[in-house]
This record gives sequence, structure tokens and C-alpha cells, in this order.
Amino acid sequence: MHIPDGLMDPTVLVIGWLIALPVVAYAIYKVSKTIDEKAVPFMAVLAAGIFIAQMLNFPVGGGTTGHLIGATLACILLGFYGSVVVMTVILVIQCLVFGDGGLTALGLNLLNMAVIAPIATAAVLWALKGRRQYTATFTASWLAVFLAATACALQLAFSYDLSGGDYGIEGVIVIPSMMAWHALIGIGEGIITTGIVAFLSKVSPESLKMQIGRKDEVDTGGKEVAA
Amino acid sequence: MEKRYLKAIAALFVIFAIGLVGFYAYSAMYGDGLEKVMEENGVSEGEPVWTAPLDYGDGYGGSLLMGIIGFFVVMLVFVGLYLLVRSRKRAGHSQ
Repeated sequence: MHIPDGLMDPTVLVIGWLIALPVVAYAIYKVSKTIDEKAVPFMAVLAAGIFIAQMLNFPVGGGTTGHLIGATLACILLGFYGSVVVMTVILVIQCLVFGDGGLTALGLNLLNMAVIAPIATAAVLWALKGRRQYTATFTASWLAVFLAATACALQLAFSYDLSGGDYGIEGVIVIPSMMAWHALIGIGEGIITTGIVAFLSKVSPESLKMQIGRKDEVDTGGKEVAA
Repeated sequence: MEKRYLKAIAALFVIFAIGLVGFYAYSAMYGDGLEKVMEENGVSEGEPVWTAPLDYGDGYGGSLLMGIIGFFVVMLVFVGLYLLVRSRKRAGHSQ
């Protein structure tokens, strides 16, 4: 779901930067103020792990593939602000070092995958606070992918309308297509994320309680994890 | 770095090496959701504004190497963060 250069209308690109940058800057500020240096190696391994996981596309049928975004996993393990920072580092490296996602579109990619996906995750985990951990994890993962893709589709549709068809794709086509494909991809994200959380809850339950930024911002049902 | 993180890194490399086999067997020839929608609508990528020094590689060996390089580039950024946090904490303690 990495948007390349030349696909979006310049106005939409600027709006992406204007929304994403303050959120990313505030997340970096919060993390730098509150992070314990002991948490940094965990954050590093998690981020690097998400980076390589994003290279492993899985088939979803119809000649399409998807890959883990990882925002939900990061949000569960590090909290909202930590996940924004981790996703930002990954997306910037993918763009600048590997050419995955355009430089002009980096603001939109940050908005979709480093801001909207963690917000969706935090919202679901907050709404399902105290409920079954794995159900919350799966639902958050699916919704994070679905909403990030829907945002991308809306950006393509706005680009099409603003440019008179020079950029983007017509909304009536792109919105249902992106939503349909990513509804499937989100299932893969949900299965992988829930599997990893289930594994960590068995082998390293303390890793599910490492919240950075604000201790109480995400609660995935700590009692179940501890048990 | 603690032993458990070194074990986790080794485990991630093994999973990545195995996962890449599956990627090249089933997925490498297809695009992701956005690429599929672009293809269906005859939309192609524009010229990149920035030319990245690396890419994800075309074959198994190349992708494995690029994944490992990317892994360590990401780690390196967090080493920078670690040094920053540590120096700030030490400065805080000395005051």
C-alpha cells in the first residue's frame, strides 16, 4: 500500500504532509520524553522485524497479494506513540533506502500507515478494553488495514476530482476496489498479528506490557496476558 | 545487547529466509492491493523524485541480502535513539 510518486494530485500530497508531520513530531516528542533506555532494543528488534515482514507478501487470491503493515502489532507492544515512531522509521527507510513509496507521497504513506492504522488500533483496543485479547487483536489488525486502505482510496479519488482526471483514480472505481482487496488483506494481517501476540503471550508475556508514552493508553486485557 | 534479543534476531532471520521461499513460490509475480487497483485501471507509477540506492532484489538471494541490510539499517536508527536517550539520562543525572 505504499503510494508511489506521480500518482496523487500535489494538493493531496501537501495535505498528507500537513496532517502527518505534526502527529509524527508529537509522537517522537512523547517517546523521547518517556522512553526507558531498556525498551529501545525491544523497539529496534520489533521495527526491524516488521521491516522484513513487510517484504513477505502473501497471496489473497485474484492475482493479488498483501503484506503485514505491522502498525497494530507495534501499537499493542509499544503503545500508540511508540507505534507511530516505529512505523515512521520503517516507512522513511523503505522510501529513502529502498525506493518503496514515493518521496513526495511519504506524507500520505505516513498518514495512512503510521497515523491512521495506529489510531484505528488504539480505538479498537480502547473500545474492547477488558474483552478477549485475541478478538481485540484480530479486529484491530483488520480495521487498521481496512481504514488505511480506505484513506488511500479516498486520497486517490480526491486526486482524480481535483486534477480533473490527471491524477488518481475515479472514486466509484477505486473506493470499492481498495476496500474489497484490503478487507481480504486485513484478514491476513489479523491472523499474523494475533499469532505473534499469542506466541509472545506464551514465551514473553512481559513484552505485551511495554507501553511507551502513556502507561494506560492501550490495554489489551493484561489479566489474560498475565495468565 | 541481551541474549534474548540476539536469539530473537536469529529467529527472525530464519523465519525471513523460510518466508522468502513462500514469497517467491506464490507471491512474487503479483502486486499488492494498491498495485492491483492501479493495474486494473491502467494507472502506472510516475517517475520517482528520489532515486533510492537499493531495492528489494529480484531473486531469492538478492532479497534475502536486502532484507538483512534493511533489518540492520532499521536497527541502526534505533541505536542512534538509544545513544540519544542514554546521553540525555546521563546529563539529567549529572545535574
